[in-house]
Amino acid sequence: MAARRALKAVLVDLSGTLHVEDAAVPGAQEALKRLRSAPVVVRFVTNTTKESKQDLLGRLRKLEFDISEDEIFTSLTAARSLVEQKQVRPMLLVDDRALPDFQGIQTSDPNAVVIGLAPEHFHYQVLNQAFRLLMDGAPLIAIHKARYYKRKDGLALGPGPFVTALEYATDTRATVVGKPEQTFFLEALRDAGCVPEEAVMIGDDSRDDVGGAQSAGMLGILVKTGKYRAADEEKITPPPYLTCESFPHAVEHILQHLL
Amino acid sequence: MAEWGERLAGVRGVLLDISGVLYDGDAGGGTPISGSVEAVARLKRSHLKVRFCTNESQKSRGKLVGRLRQLGFDICEEEVTAPAPAACQILKEQGLRPHLLIHDEVRSEFDQIDTSNPNCVVIGDAGEAFSYQNMNKAFQVLMELEKPVLISLGRGRYYKETSGLMLDVGGYMKALEYACGIKAEVVGKPSPEFFKSALRAIGVEAPQAIMIGDDIVGDVGGAQRCGMRALQVRTGKFRPGDEHHPEVKADGYVDNLAEAVDLLLRHADQ
Repeated sequence: MAARRALKAVLVDLSGTLHVEDAAVPGAQEALKRLRSAPVVVRFVTNTTKESKQDLLGRLRKLEFDISEDEIFTSLTAARSLVEQKQVRPMLLVDDRALPDFQGIQTSDPNAVVIGLAPEHFHYQVLNQAFRLLMDGAPLIAIHKARYYKRKDGLALGPGPFVTALEYATDTRATVVGKPEQTFFLEALRDAGCVPEEAVMIGDDSRDDVGGAQSAGMLGILVKTGKYRAADEEKITPPPYLTCESFPHAVEHILQHLL
Repeated sequence: MAEWGERLAGVRGVLLDISGVLYDGDAGGGTPISGSVEAVARLKRSHLKVRFCTNESQKSRGKLVGRLRQLGFDICEEEVTAPAPAACQILKEQGLRPHLLIHDEVRSEFDQIDTSNPNCVVIGDAGEAFSYQNMNKAFQVLMELEKPVLISLGRGRYYKETSGLMLDVGGYMKALEYACGIKAEVVGKPSPEFFKSALRAIGVEAPQAIMIGDDIVGDVGGAQRCGMRALQVRTGKFRPGDEHHPEVKADGYVDNLAEAVDLLLRHADQ
């Protein structure tokens, strides 16, 4: 790992770190204010396949977090920025609610496929259309590859199986853009104008938040809220730079030791 | 490469793939590939044993054969080795009651199978029935089983219809494998057991048999692994890159079935 440099940016996970479902983590709003008084850039990073930045922002503001839209970086943002870099016109297999994050992107006569969680699109006709684009050389960009998720009526297939289906049929590999992919963190930091050695990530997911950030060269702080389960910090190597009770404790540590 | 005479020496039996070799299918009825109707007829008039070996799982054998006869092919149901009947035999032998994720047109093949209280999933080329809901149902059945069993009718990546390339069952099989963290049991090409059953039906040993297909991996690679020879036709799903496939090299590449039959009738042992 490269030598640490003065801290310039703090990346913060949303769900499970700032809030758990519809309740803020106690003291999180106040801690965020304190963090903002320090000379660091703050970015909010999250894996989402269906919530646009506007949706996320609405929820956070309701919980009285002081956050602006351009500080949010999601797996959808990462997909968009990859689409822009590659200068391609994507067929968007994403939930309709995610479409605002792709506003302004040219999607007619597509020559790329972006795939998120979109049950209404995951059927024979549409998948066949995506398949034919890929056979013609279009790149496949996956928001993430989760196997399944929990719904009220039981387990339901995530995007991963459908990404795998297209990968197998076309003998290609998707570029996965969400956490814990390195590119996700690097893109978020590029947006913040710094390098991994100048940044720290705070999150409740040992593998996706902390492990991913640390592989990208950042420091990772694991908070024991949200999806955290006992001994999660032992599930990654190297272990988290720090494991602490919650977001306010993480902020306290940063203010006292990393600046 | 050796001369055709050498490559085809000793051939006594021929396995023919159907889709992409005999005809290109579509929603209507399909179109015979130029010269294939006559080629099948010539082959059947010859001394060579002929068996049709298909991974078709969108239609029952009866429907498939009916369609091919309409197109002018000399073929009957008893001459066809197909995955659905082979799967039924496995289901009966192992006392499995399947949840069926298959095309309506092939359902009749499973008429004699108990599908109550399923303890496995059978997936075929379900076509339009590959909805999210149906995939999810199959997934949920598998996840509820203590030891999930997934039987796949072939594992093809894609095939060609007149309108273009179509996703085959393989992708959907992989989707369920990935979601459940399991491996499917494949009934159909390239499974060696499937080729062997086709050869048993015509009483020919693998070294004396040749497979003719448009799928470099499923047809050619699969047959060769069983000890057969195999030709790839440049019809159906054939793509030019197939002739430089990193793992599979056919015993010969021919423009179509008609050319393959010409060569066989000229060079296979009399």
